Amino acid sequence: MHTAVISLVAFLSLLLGPDPARGQTVVVGSKHFNEGYILAEISAQLLEDRGFRVERKFGLGGTLVCFEALRNGEIGLYPEYSGTLEQAILKLPHRVSHRELREILKRRFDLDLLESFGFSNTYAIAVSRRLARVRGLKKISELAKFSDLRFGFSHEFLNRQDGWPGLARTYGLPARPVGIEHGLAYHAIREDRLDVTDVYSTDGDIKKFDLVLLEDDRRYFPEYLAALLVRGGLDEQIKRILGELAGTITAAEMQGLNGQVLLERKSFAEVAQQFLREEGLLRSQGQALLGSRWGTLLFRAATHIELTLIALVAGMAVAIPGGILIYRLRAISKPVVYLAGLLQTIPSIALLAFMIPFFGIGATPAIVALFLYALLPILRNTAAALFSIDPVLKRVSVGMGLTAWQRLRYVELPLAAPTILAGIKTAAVINIGTATLAAFIGAGGLGEPIVTGLALNDTALILEGAVPAALLAVATEWGFEGLEKLLIPKHLLQKPAE
Amino acid sequence: MAQIALEKVSKVYGDEKALQDIDLTFTDDVTTAVVGPSGSGKSTLLQVINGLVRPSRGTVSVFREPIDYGRLPELRLRIGYAVQGTGLFPHLTVEENITLLACLAKWDVEQIKARTEELMRLVNLPLSFAQRYPHELSGGQQQRVGLCRAMVLNPRIFLLDEPFGALDPITRNEIQREFLHLQQMEARTIVLVTHDLREALKLAQRLVVLDRGSLVQHGTCKEILEDPASGFVRSFFQSQLEQ
Repeated sequence: MHTAVISLVAFLSLLLGPDPARGQTVVVGSKHFNEGYILAEISAQLLEDRGFRVERKFGLGGTLVCFEALRNGEIGLYPEYSGTLEQAILKLPHRVSHRELREILKRRFDLDLLESFGFSNTYAIAVSRRLARVRGLKKISELAKFSDLRFGFSHEFLNRQDGWPGLARTYGLPARPVGIEHGLAYHAIREDRLDVTDVYSTDGDIKKFDLVLLEDDRRYFPEYLAALLVRGGLDEQIKRILGELAGTITAAEMQGLNGQVLLERKSFAEVAQQFLREEGLLRSQGQALLGSRWGTLLFRAATHIELTLIALVAGMAVAIPGGILIYRLRAISKPVVYLAGLLQTIPSIALLAFMIPFFGIGATPAIVALFLYALLPILRNTAAALFSIDPVLKRVSVGMGLTAWQRLRYVELPLAAPTILAGIKTAAVINIGTATLAAFIGAGGLGEPIVTGLALNDTALILEGAVPAALLAVATEWGFEGLEKLLIPKHLLQKPAE
Repeated sequence: MAQIALEKVSKVYGDEKALQDIDLTFTDDVTTAVVGPSGSGKSTLLQVINGLVRPSRGTVSVFREPIDYGRLPELRLRIGYAVQGTGLFPHLTVEENITLLACLAKWDVEQIKARTEELMRLVNLPLSFAQRYPHELSGGQQQRVGLCRAMVLNPRIFLLDEPFGALDPITRNEIQREFLHLQQMEARTIVLVTHDLREALKLAQRLVVLDRGSLVQHGTCKEILEDPASGFVRSFFQSQLEQ
């Protein structure tokens, strides 16, 4: 819906404006990890600088979520890695060159893989700077010369076929490495308990712990060249502008950018703007980045409430009549309640993922998922409340001459109201909680800082979303209690009086 | 032809015969009590008259026409119905309970108000009770409200299913007196189901005796007392009246 409005606005301004770029909206996506955010933000700011409007859909679940969103046109571009494309998406049996990869993507998906940013984020072997100096280590092959070095690798690297087993074969390394948690390996090296470990080549921690990467002189590790993947249909002008980013970032520079976010706690926007300015890519002065914190919070809360409310109202519109139908047609009650219960057992994140092929990303799939979650509590409470009405009252209301509709309107629904309202309350509170996950598919809301905070392991940022969400849930609970007092005679709230 | 007539009416639930071949004409404008041991089909007989139970076989005529089962609500609006435990709607005030049908019939406000006051006076309910909820009333008061509700559209037929069953003896006596008073003021065709033979003899002019779904005897109270049709009727009366 939102996107439709934006596209309409974009279309109109396209007709009116003399400059084709002005007002055109580009949707930039990113995966849910630090480097993805930075590269996407750099691309977004560059386009904004050149007069495009950019909608950011950052922190999308994972590779497949991003790729599907791109194919469906939900996003226009996102940063991806060549190795990921080869293995996770195309599932190619062998390595291909960057050029071949581009041809395959163009042919099969009409997607353009732009020139790489200039670095590869792959596995690398790291040692401390001191050790490298003392032993004169520059290449991985030189490790074979020393038998006293202590190797420690992350468990994943240790067990992957393209990890240690192959590395040991390729380089003839005799070492017997231990498995160690990735974060701890850095500390172990600093404490001089470990000499050699695996890292990602652009890891911000490489800088922090002053490590040196050894050259992969036998080209064992596949390349994970970072590059923007864009829709073939995207304006050529946009592709040209983004092309300016090609070759601007070395692995060491990427380490630095990652480090600025992770270690110096700068925002993605700040880091991206600084980078673009230093590269001389910005034409305008760049906008002030300091938005009001409260403004952002209110905006997120409003989005959150909007998602929840639309889903809840839709849920009520379906589940209350559904509950009544079940009550009238006893035969379908079991299957329907079971089906709604089944929906409830699907983990939220999985349900959100299921929505993507049908509704893409953004608010719509989130609302649909929340709507499905709202169904069961309302449906079950409505049906249960109607079923549990005193049979004498039912008999009397029939016997005195009320039509089916009149019975429902004047007797059954009012008597069921407290329980139905309780069901709606449950659904609302569940929805507020689940809506925080909607940020994973680009729906925004209070989940946004939570998702980003998870990616950065930043507790403060997580709380920035979690605390307002919790408060919202409590406020909702209060709101419903007030509504109860307003709508329902007091004596019906305890036990129906005879 | 009488207002209520049953012709060869049977009702079967699975293997159980709740009513068997009942031929019965209720005399207009008098109270007929339906008596019999529990499980004899008394309530079923009553509910056949307002269509709450549809007979498996036979014809039920009300207001001189066979019941049209597609248009039951219209028929029921012309039949007052009150049950044991009152069946008052707990979410509605006394006044709302009494006037629900009148409101749905789109009476005007003045008319509704007048009717409510008339009915409440008739059964000795203080008008100040109008805004109370049923649970704030005693059992006897609730029962009176139940009668008012059944009378609001001034139906010519009244079906009463053990309406005074749950009351204490003193209250019951009072209400029974009021009931007789009402009936004296304006005679209606009343079918009263009761397990209490004394009550039946006090309130009704005629009796219907049921046993295991079959009609055993039908006549004035006097006829049946003086000339029981069978040993069953005699022993039923003895056991009831000796208590």
